Amino acid sequence: MLHWLGRRLLTSFVTLFGITTITFLLARVIPSDPAAVYIGPLARPAEIARVTKQLGLDRPLPVQYVKYLRALLRGDWGTSLATKEPVLGGIVHRLPATLELVLLAMLIAVVIGIPLGVLTARRAGRASDAGVRVGSVIGISMPVFWLGLLLQAIFSGKLGWLPATSRLSLETSVLQPIPHHTGFAVIDALVSGDWSGLRDAGEHVVLPAATLAAYPLGLITRMTRASMLDVLNQDYIRTARTFGLSERLIQWRLALRNALPATLTVAGLSFAYLLTGTFFVELVYDWPGIGQFGTNALLNQDYPVIMGITLFGAIGFLSINLAVDILQARLDPRVRLE
Amino acid sequence: MTAVTVATPSLAPSTGVRRVFRQLRRDPTGMLGATICTVFLVTAALAPLLAPNAAQGRGATDVGARELAPGWAHLFGTDHLGRDLLSRVLLGSRPALGSAAAVVALAVLIGVPIGLVAGFRGGLLGEALMRVTDLFLSFPPLLLAMVIAALLGPTLLHAAIALAISWWPWYARLTRSVTQSLRREPFIDAARVFGVREPVILIRHVLRNAATPILVQATIDGGTVILAIGSLSFLGLGAQPPTPDWGLMVADGRTTVLTEWWIATFPGLAIFVVALGLNLLGDALRDILDPRSGR
Repeated sequence: MLHWLGRRLLTSFVTLFGITTITFLLARVIPSDPAAVYIGPLARPAEIARVTKQLGLDRPLPVQYVKYLRALLRGDWGTSLATKEPVLGGIVHRLPATLELVLLAMLIAVVIGIPLGVLTARRAGRASDAGVRVGSVIGISMPVFWLGLLLQAIFSGKLGWLPATSRLSLETSVLQPIPHHTGFAVIDALVSGDWSGLRDAGEHVVLPAATLAAYPLGLITRMTRASMLDVLNQDYIRTARTFGLSERLIQWRLALRNALPATLTVAGLSFAYLLTGTFFVELVYDWPGIGQFGTNALLNQDYPVIMGITLFGAIGFLSINLAVDILQARLDPRVRLE
Repeated sequence: MTAVTVATPSLAPSTGVRRVFRQLRRDPTGMLGATICTVFLVTAALAPLLAPNAAQGRGATDVGARELAPGWAHLFGTDHLGRDLLSRVLLGSRPALGSAAAVVALAVLIGVPIGLVAGFRGGLLGEALMRVTDLFLSFPPLLLAMVIAALLGPTLLHAAIALAISWWPWYARLTRSVTQSLRREPFIDAARVFGVREPVILIRHVLRNAATPILVQATIDGGTVILAIGSLSFLGLGAQPPTPDWGLMVADGRTTVLTEWWIATFPGLAIFVVALGLNLLGDALRDILDPRSGR
């Protein structure tokens, strides 16, 4: 296991190195003149020359790359052209808001998806086959931004049950701010016993989290069902049945345990999807997270922020894949032997 | 895995195609997908004839008829500039189809040659090519495309290029795995013994046999590509006004969705239905060609 883990970590490290190469090249190669982008549309030639020198853009690319890597390691991810805030600080500052959405969405998808997969596997047959397939394909075909707008129009516009945008109402954030512990509004309110704050934060997070959950829910339900069907056909399940073990025990303990690795892979995949999905959900719900930071940067060609968020997203993606692989190896000994 | 099982029966392509059609007809959800796709293609072909007001579909405004709710005069209502949304949605099928086709075609053009060489040659070159390929897959889906589109400057063409740049690795991997399994086939050895040059073998013999799985993969990807293009346009990284682009139209109605809900709803519905159709069809095709790949 240790040997396997060591090799896996090493490949992740190599990949990380490659990722920095791509982000670096993107920023240096695609905008025809980074210095001009840096100054803005009204740049004069003399200024461009000065900034080119100041940013070290006149040096050879390999030299610039080493400089870029050194700065990254020091935690200097550049400064936003639009807001002048440090990029890494800006990302870390907005991380809790985004994680709150992503984790809640994942929780919704897992808590509903896995039992739904198990239950529909029990009723295998044409109708249930078609039902789960169409349902999950609907989940993955739904444009996340459109689903967000629909839920807004229905639950805020028509019914008026839930707030349409932002993370907290003005009354809460200005008059009775939730004490800051972790940066997760729901948890902070819970920890400090701020019930009106909790209610407010909860009301605001429901719609965006549900929007984000649609895609992973479809994938997880479907994968759980498919691998349950595979497992339920195996000999050891038949043996368990002949021993007269209860159907409940067979399905939820014996079969599910062996069906979970496949579900886990899909969950990891959809987690990665949520990293980009949050760009859209945060735009629709005016949610002050990394996605919104990123969208604004993309539209303003704020390339230090673009590079920072791309790198951050890739690191997140890499970590998720690594975590899934490690969990997989723990659940399924065969993985380690490969 | 998929590729290997798909590649072997392609020795008799005509019976393969007929078998696919026969099985597809027995699969109601697959047929639903195929029907939606057909309607989409026909709509794209005849959009100017089908649209009640083709000029408005292309961008002509009518400020006297702004933000009318759906009704008999305008089935889908009108937008902020008084344009008939039904016409806009119908004409929007063209950029959607065109850009999706461009993305897949470009991705195939980049990915397939790389996969062919990597799979056929193997060795250090093949290894190096696949490392680079995998690197492109180490970004969260769509993020790389969003960044490239933003840096190139927002147009529909740039969005399509950006998507292709982040999409080709899938085709490279697929082609490589098919090529690797074909490399050991006796008919390739035979060609070599007859002194056929390597590029000719690659194109005449390997590529021809790899074509079916690549085409199927392209269909399966169609839904995802449609969604991806809509997503880029929605963020403002794709088509620009007055192009009748679905993602752009949803963005146009975003801020007023609580009151004029129809402006964002109908174009988004179009993206959803087309993506659903392509995904259902792709799903059915995958099942028919590789029964083991989940239900």
